[in-house]
Amino acid sequence: MRVEYINPFVEAAYNVLTEVLATEVKRGNLFLKSATKPVMGVAAIVGLAGEVEGRVLFDMSKQTAVKIASVMNMEELTEIDDLVKATISELANMITAQAVTKLHELGFKFDLTPPALITGDNMEISDQEVEALIVPMESPYGNIEINVAVRERS
Amino acid sequence: MSTTKTETAKGPKETDRLKKIDFKMISFTLAGKDYGINILKVKEIRKAGNFTKVPNTPIFVKGVDNLRGDIIPVIDLRIMFNLPAESKDSSNLENIVILRLDSLVLGVVVDSIEKVVGIASESIQPPHPIFGDINIQYISGVVENEGRLYIILDVDRIFGEPEAEVETVQKTTPPMAEAVTSDDAVPGDAVLPLDLQFVGETLAAFGQFHLSPLNREWVSERLVDWKKARQAKNLDFQVTQKDEAEDFLASFPSIHSSRVWTAESVAALAGFLTFTSQPVVVWNPGCGRGYESYSLALMFQTQFKGKDYKIWASDNDLLSISTAPSLVLEEDEVEAGWKEFTVESRSGLQFNSDLKARILFEFHDVNHLNPMPEVNLAVLRDVISFLKPSDQEKLVTELTDKVRTGGYLLLGTHERLEHPEWKFVGNETWSVYQKI
Repeated sequence: MRVEYINPFVEAAYNVLTEVLATEVKRGNLFLKSATKPVMGVAAIVGLAGEVEGRVLFDMSKQTAVKIASVMNMEELTEIDDLVKATISELANMITAQAVTKLHELGFKFDLTPPALITGDNMEISDQEVEALIVPMESPYGNIEINVAVRERS
Repeated sequence: MSTTKTETAKGPKETDRLKKIDFKMISFTLAGKDYGINILKVKEIRKAGNFTKVPNTPIFVKGVDNLRGDIIPVIDLRIMFNLPAESKDSSNLENIVILRLDSLVLGVVVDSIEKVVGIASESIQPPHPIFGDINIQYISGVVENEGRLYIILDVDRIFGEPEAEVETVQKTTPPMAEAVTSDDAVPGDAVLPLDLQFVGETLAAFGQFHLSPLNREWVSERLVDWKKARQAKNLDFQVTQKDEAEDFLASFPSIHSSRVWTAESVAALAGFLTFTSQPVVVWNPGCGRGYESYSLALMFQTQFKGKDYKIWASDNDLLSISTAPSLVLEEDEVEAGWKEFTVESRSGLQFNSDLKARILFEFHDVNHLNPMPEVNLAVLRDVISFLKPSDQEKLVTELTDKVRTGGYLLLGTHERLEHPEWKFVGNETWSVYQKI
């Protein structure tokens, strides 16, 4: 993945999560992954198109999703219902949109697709021909992994 | 789906089958009949005409075609199989399927190219002797899909050379043949294969350096010197610590490692290279902080003026690669001739934006999938030696696949490659190989 893309995603994830959760979040070590990867339970996907092709995946466990949605809606939620799903999709949208805005400022132009939310057990994700950059974020409500796979159109 | 009735009747069985699409083929027509070719054999499809006729060739050879710089033979399948060929006047372009077989790339002219059809390989049925038009040995099977019957051609059989068996025997020998390391091959008889093996193992453990045919020659020679130097100090020659491994490898790095190359060196390297097509695609994995990539850009700017080029540089070390796009240079690092390519920035001296725009730095692990277009020049100095032996072989195979014929591979000063498809065209300092 192009070096210039890394920071906007990391910064956007940090900024947005700190703001919406109103708490301290920590970034883990970045790493690359090309093989099939398990998905924790709730995954929001935002597609990227334009000068690049790829997608950003926000991956967390169901408990984490429920807790984060509770904080963001300021009410106690207990299960993955429509509100939780909408909230997590919106979170994915906010982070990706902020990253893309930062990238626009650097002169890279690309568009987003609306987020899609996938929930289930024992899921895996595999990317054909793109390696993914994993940005692990740790919060008191649980861990969120941001999995960015983009490549230049050649 | 056209017939809902049959679909519901077949119900579960059909969906079972649909799940297992493990064979895809390009479908096309010849004289009104449907045919398929395994998609893995197909490089691309395109329209072309006005082939250059080659004299004294069989009637089904249409001639040769220029595929973006590569000259490939074009064969008319209809004539080859005695099918009626609609004659097109020279202004009309023909549909061509370009095949990539083991040993050659060639184009075949067909009537029309339809689409990609996915099927389950188990639904392919063996050819029946009554398919008279095409010799049965050229058919690998027949399959039914959405009410149409496709004859799947076995292109390896059709276009494979008669001596294909001899070829495959050669192919199965390991790509990097183990260099002979009998005792008398080693100068001074001072290094035994066992010593070499021990040192190799410790270098792997302490220096992440892996002994392989690529660097065996250098390690053997280095071991002779090492032994002498250690014995002079009354020390055991075995490498047992990290700093000893570093010491051993201190003279391994290539010329101008982690610094900007001199104009003289750039000219020397350029002397080994010729590029006929544009743009020149350069692949530079393991670029570290980017000195090598910038030096290559300087080479194109000064030695190949006017040539369009693009450098894809990558490294799996996040810290190094992050600094590469805005590499800050020391005054004394840059010789006078390069000054015009630099610019004074807030953080210090940097290369100018023209040069930077030519290089794309990526955070990437070369052991993962490398989605690269065809490469004209691959630069991997002191990169392959630091991969595990199995990854080394994989990467060499991938390089052989990615670099186009006539393209180049630059290895480290002390790395040598033994491979039937790579010819050494460099010198002592510049380990340049050309793909044949």
